[in-house]
Amino acid sequence: MISHHPSDDSLAHYAAGNLGAGPRLVLATHLSGCPQCRARVRSFEAVGGALIDSCAPADLPADGLERVFRLIDAPEPIRPVAPVALHPELPEPLRRYPVGRWRFVHPGFRWRRVTLPEAPDANVIMLRVGAGQKVPQHTHTGTEYTQVLTGAFSDSFGRYRAGDCVEADEDVDHQPVVDPDGECICLAAVDGRLRLDSWIGRMLQPLIGI
Amino acid sequence: MDTTADDMKLWLTAVAERQDRDAFARLYRHFAPRLASFLERSGLNGAEAEEVAQEALATVWRRASSYDPRQGAVSTWVFTIARNLRIDRARRAARASVGIRAIGHEEPQVAPSAEETSLAAERDARVRRAMATLSPEQATVLRLSFFSEKPHAEIARELCIPLGTVKSRTRLAMAKIRALLEQES
Repeated sequence: MISHHPSDDSLAHYAAGNLGAGPRLVLATHLSGCPQCRARVRSFEAVGGALIDSCAPADLPADGLERVFRLIDAPEPIRPVAPVALHPELPEPLRRYPVGRWRFVHPGFRWRRVTLPEAPDANVIMLRVGAGQKVPQHTHTGTEYTQVLTGAFSDSFGRYRAGDCVEADEDVDHQPVVDPDGECICLAAVDGRLRLDSWIGRMLQPLIGI
Repeated sequence: MDTTADDMKLWLTAVAERQDRDAFARLYRHFAPRLASFLERSGLNGAEAEEVAQEALATVWRRASSYDPRQGAVSTWVFTIARNLRIDRARRAARASVGIRAIGHEEPQVAPSAEETSLAAERDARVRRAMATLSPEQATVLRLSFFSEKPHAEIARELCIPLGTVKSRTRLAMAKIRALLEQES
């Protein structure tokens, strides 16, 4: 039962194609398991369709249609073969992306990087926090998206289980604690570039030398 | 005369079933000029917008048989095609700058449940009814907020209204659409 969802604002940006690559991947992971949010995204896509219909037509070159027929009659561009699933154990949207090995921070706290070849400066990481462990208290710069993959954690706003997506604005100050009965693995991304003053940045800075 | 959603479905079916070029020309005449102006508003320059609109129409031809009318209006389907092409284009640009292969943009592949499909059939009509109830100001802000890459601050400058007003109008427009969608579903 999923009880925490991305905001309408984020789902609309996702549907419009205007969300950064990192948050986009976190939301795609959430959507793969959440029919409710998939329906929301479809509604926003319908808004997009309606907006196209209501747009004032632009002036196109007189031979525009012929050009499209030339595109159609040309051999279809070779589409890259879908990359093999590198990580079949992960939710579908994550499977094709290179994921680094787990790195040790301190007992009960590990992370690994998810690489997006198409967006080299996107920062998507997986966090693995031991049972009963606290994540250091932090605030964010930019919106931080966290999708719970396994396990559960809580903060002063609620309890988040596998399938839940937490969206935290920069002014949120929280201290998540993992449930006592098992570790918790999350996927997280910050909108825009990783800023050194974000908590992920502070944590990773000494480790990856950014 | 206005093109109706049913016209578009008929034309697209003709393209899918018999590669009907006349029907395709009608789809082109409706969508290409509107897509180009839509894409220009989304932040592409004139030449790019024209190019993506053409690629989108070529994709409409090639994938015509994969359109499922039960999933929604033709316009919505065309919107997703153009959106994905725009994302791919941005990815190719990012890849070119670092010299690595990008992964093509794909939506999560999840087969819709029967319930999702039955909701989809009515969704476009409901969304359009909801949008018709927005004030002109709300409609403008909604359009600028979600279909252009411009941050709210820039929209505020462009419309000469305070940032807080952009945010509250966006929120109101979203809430209105959501309330109508939930009320009818």
